[in-house]
Amino acid sequence: MTLRVPTSLRVALVAALLALGSNLALIVFIHLRTHDDAMSMLRQRVAEEASALADVYDSGGRPALNDAVSDLLATDPQFLGALVDRNGHGRSGNVHSLAAPPARLRRGYQEGLIDPVGGAAPIVAGFVLKPLQHSLWLVSGRSFGERLALQRTLERALLLAGVLSVLLGLLCGLVTARYVSRSVRGIAAVAKGITGGDFSQRVPITGSSDAFDGLGAQINLMLDRIVALMEELRLLTDSLAHDLRSPVGRLRARVDAALAAEDDARRDSLLAGVVAEADSLMRMLTTVLEIGRSEAMASRNQFALLDPGALVAELAEMYEPLAEEAGAALTVETSGSIAPFSGHRQLLAQALSNLVDNALGYAAAGGEIRLFVEQRQGELRLGVADRGPGIAEADRQEAKRRFGRLDGSRSTSGAGLGLSLAEAVAHLHHGRLELDDNRPGLRASLVIPIGAVA
Amino acid sequence: MGRKILVVEDDAETASYLVRGLTEQGHNVAHVADGRDGLFLASDGSFDLVILDRMVPGVDGLAVLRALRAAAIATPVLILSALASVSDRIEGLEQGSDDYLVKPFSFAELLARTNALLRRGDTRPDLSPDMRMTIGDLEIDPLARIVRRGGRLLALNPREYKLLEYFARNAGRVVTRTMLLEQVWDYHFDPGTNVIDVHVSRLRRKLEDGFDRPILHTVRGAGYRLGAAQ
Repeated sequence: MTLRVPTSLRVALVAALLALGSNLALIVFIHLRTHDDAMSMLRQRVAEEASALADVYDSGGRPALNDAVSDLLATDPQFLGALVDRNGHGRSGNVHSLAAPPARLRRGYQEGLIDPVGGAAPIVAGFVLKPLQHSLWLVSGRSFGERLALQRTLERALLLAGVLSVLLGLLCGLVTARYVSRSVRGIAAVAKGITGGDFSQRVPITGSSDAFDGLGAQINLMLDRIVALMEELRLLTDSLAHDLRSPVGRLRARVDAALAAEDDARRDSLLAGVVAEADSLMRMLTTVLEIGRSEAMASRNQFALLDPGALVAELAEMYEPLAEEAGAALTVETSGSIAPFSGHRQLLAQALSNLVDNALGYAAAGGEIRLFVEQRQGELRLGVADRGPGIAEADRQEAKRRFGRLDGSRSTSGAGLGLSLAEAVAHLHHGRLELDDNRPGLRASLVIPIGAVA
Repeated sequence: MGRKILVVEDDAETASYLVRGLTEQGHNVAHVADGRDGLFLASDGSFDLVILDRMVPGVDGLAVLRALRAAAIATPVLILSALASVSDRIEGLEQGSDDYLVKPFSFAELLARTNALLRRGDTRPDLSPDMRMTIGDLEIDPLARIVRRGGRLLALNPREYKLLEYFARNAGRVVTRTMLLEQVWDYHFDPGTNVIDVHVSRLRRKLEDGFDRPILHTVRGAGYRLGAAQ
């Protein structure tokens, strides 16, 4: 069974116990190093002398007591012995006065200040008070001497320190608990707000750069990422829903027209168009799926060693007739020897073919389309450079977005997925898609880190 | 011509579409809707082809395929699947299937692939790789990679030769664009452009320029067919 204690209370307790524990350990250490038996021996001797003097008084009365005290005073300079009146003033012996009237002092062994006869400074002593007849009190005891007096002061100070450390420990615990719970409460409040749907909330950063600030900053970064992903997802579903409307609409229009067609030849050609529309719709969905899979880093288990030069040459060979038909020259540029690397041949080929398709679609008029492979600074760059109109720097981010189109209209063919697929494939290879100015034209490169093995 | 085909497909509409179409082609078609039943029927190796849906109840399609291959049943298997990504296709092929077709598909595509798989099991001496292939007046020598038509030597580049050889091995049968992309280029994605058509029409020009009879035919809505007859 566990007792459920609020975390802040637990933190407070732990902090208090730690503070107290360490203080007490120090106190005990000091005590052990400074304490010896002198004090307890003195205590014992005082008690023995007091009881012996009491016996003398009981058997022989005051005269015997006076004799005994005188003997002791004569032989032992440390001995204190006297009869005092109710105000604590000495009537005989070597005590001038006590610090307080004897009635207000304890009976047994005690320690205190005693004024000796002769006007010297008060001395610290351990003594016993015993009431006699006629409002007189017997004081018997021993003065401490310098070392014992110091030790006694020290022990008192240690005792006080113990009490103080309990208080300080509690204070310490409370301050810590307050600090921790305030920091955690801030984070919890943000989490609660976000659960409630307000994604604009962020953990306040105090600027003290402590662990809580670090945690808060990390949480904020995570939230930024989540918000960005959600925004992307929302855009994606919105644009998917929007972009599917036009092909489905065309599909519908063609089916309608085919239904209404009078002659068979026209109906057949309309139905062939329906099939083509359906195919392009399927292709679009497959590409969206492919992008999602690549971004999720699936299919990395299908990586194999491949020669980037051969891959590019293959694609150039595949697209060369198409380029020729479009009136452009497709060339391959391989700089230096390129080492094989581990990659997904199918997806890389698809990404590159999208880049070539784009170049053919937008830049065939530029006359030259160049497939290139180069390796520098641990990075493999393969891509397509054209001499078309290029993409303005401000538009490059939009161009990579799923369904992103630069012409504003959605009339041109292609779903705007080519570059985002290329980028997703680059990400799958821990790389990136770079769009640069080819002066003039566009230079789109898949940049893939190939690590130390170059 | 009629062959034994097993269709393992749980979707009733797709199944009846397949069974009807294949039966019309003269095949003897058996149908089960469950992976376990499919595995049971296929494990005696008596079918010429198994058309296997990847997601069927009982035992899933890929597991059926693995079990068959583990039992050394070499019957060609064509996988049908709604899992369309390139990596899904590759996974399907790596598990030992002979072909992979993504749903939805046209019956023409399925039929072309079915015929290609069925013929693979045939031992046709005139098509063995070390022997000349003759289609009408077209002669192909696979060893020397020499192509003649009507005795005249045709200069083909390596890709055109590979394309022609694939057509020749499937002479008289329809070959689709995706089959060409997969078999001749080994690409399993849909390029979405007429890139294959351009290659085929180049090859056709070389095969037919200066001859009065066409030999590489376009089959509308399906693909191409190499053959002497119209």
